[in-house]
Amino acid sequence: MNNIDLSRMCVLVVEDSQFIRSLIVNSLRVMGVGSIKSVDDGAEAIEFIKLVDSNPMKAGMMSIDIVISDWEMSPVNGMMLLRWIRRHKESPERFLPFIMLTGYSEPQRVEDARAMGVNEFMSKPFTVNALADKLFSVINKPRQFVHTASYFGPDRRRQDVPIQGEDRRKLTLKSPEVEVVNA
Amino acid sequence: MPKVTVRYYRLKNKLKEKTLGLAPRGDDEISFDEDILAQATAALEDMAEDYPDWVSTLIDQLADVHRRCVDTPEQRVPLFEQLHSIAHDMRGQGGTFGYQLISDFADGLYAFTDKSTSTSDNHVEVIKAHIDAMRVVIKQRISGDGGEVGSEIKAGLEAAIKKYMAQNA
Repeated sequence: MNNIDLSRMCVLVVEDSQFIRSLIVNSLRVMGVGSIKSVDDGAEAIEFIKLVDSNPMKAGMMSIDIVISDWEMSPVNGMMLLRWIRRHKESPERFLPFIMLTGYSEPQRVEDARAMGVNEFMSKPFTVNALADKLFSVINKPRQFVHTASYFGPDRRRQDVPIQGEDRRKLTLKSPEVEVVNA
Repeated sequence: MPKVTVRYYRLKNKLKEKTLGLAPRGDDEISFDEDILAQATAALEDMAEDYPDWVSTLIDQLADVHRRCVDTPEQRVPLFEQLHSIAHDMRGQGGTFGYQLISDFADGLYAFTDKSTSTSDNHVEVIKAHIDAMRVVIKQRISGDGGEVGSEIKAGLEAAIKKYMAQNA
C-alpha cells in the first residue's frame, strides 16, 4: 500500500467565513499539505492566481495545484471564480483542479457547477474523510478535459455507463471533427 | 476537412507524480494514511469545541443588525441583506459541530431575509424570534436535535412565526 504524500502540494483555499477557513486550512495542514494559501473571496483568489503566475517568489507559492472554494462569497463568488479560471483569457491555468465547497446541494446547483467545469463538489458540513475523498479523486482519478463550443472542463461522463434516452454524442474519437491533445 | 469542434485534452498527471512518485501503481494500492486522517479528524473535533464561541459572535452580529432594523426602518433592505449573509454563514455549519438546531434556525432566517420577502415590522419580529431561539440553543449548549427542550424551542419559534405572519396577512 502506498500512502499519498501531500508535502509537495500547493492548495489555494477560498472561503469568506474565517472560522470555516481555519477549519479547512488546519485539516489540510494536519493531512500534510505542504503549502496552503487562504483568501477571503474570489476577487482575492484571482489576484493571487495572477501573482503566482507572474511572480511566484513574491506570492510565496511556485504553483497552485488545487483550488478549494466556497460558493457563496462577495463580491466575487465561487462560480465567478471558476468561470474566470476556465474561460478568461488572463487565466494562466485553465485546467486547474477546482473543488467547490457549499452549503447548497440542490441538484440544479450541482448541475450549474458541473456545466461551469467543476472537478469535485463537496457539500457542507464537511468532514476530513470527505475532504480526503475529493483530494483522492482529483489526484488519482483526473478526467480528460473537453472543449466544445458550449463547454470547457473535465469530462462530465465519469464512467462508461449505458445512456438513458437519446445519445446526443454524434461524434466518435475517429471523427475528423474530434481532436485528442496529449500533453 | 471538417472543422474540429471537439477537443479532448489528456494531460500528464502531474499531481500523481507529486504525491506518489513516478512508479506505476494500481488504484487499490493507493490511499491516505489512516493515522494522519485520524489526527486530522481529531484536530477538526478540537476546533469544533470553539464553535459555540464563534457562533455567539455571529448571533451578536445578528442582534446588532436587528436592532438597526428597528431603529432605522428605511435601511431595512440593505440590513436584511446583511442578516441573509450572516444566516448563510451559519446554516451550513451547525450540523458539523453537533448543533443541528442552529443550522435549522439559520436556514429559516436565511429564507425569511431573502430579497423577495417583505421588510415589514412583523418580519422584523420574526427575525428576532429566530435570534432568540439561537441564543437559547448556544447558551444552554443544546446539541443534536435537542430532545424535548429542542422540540419546545422549535415549537415556540413556529408559534411566533405563525403569529406574526398572520398579522402580516
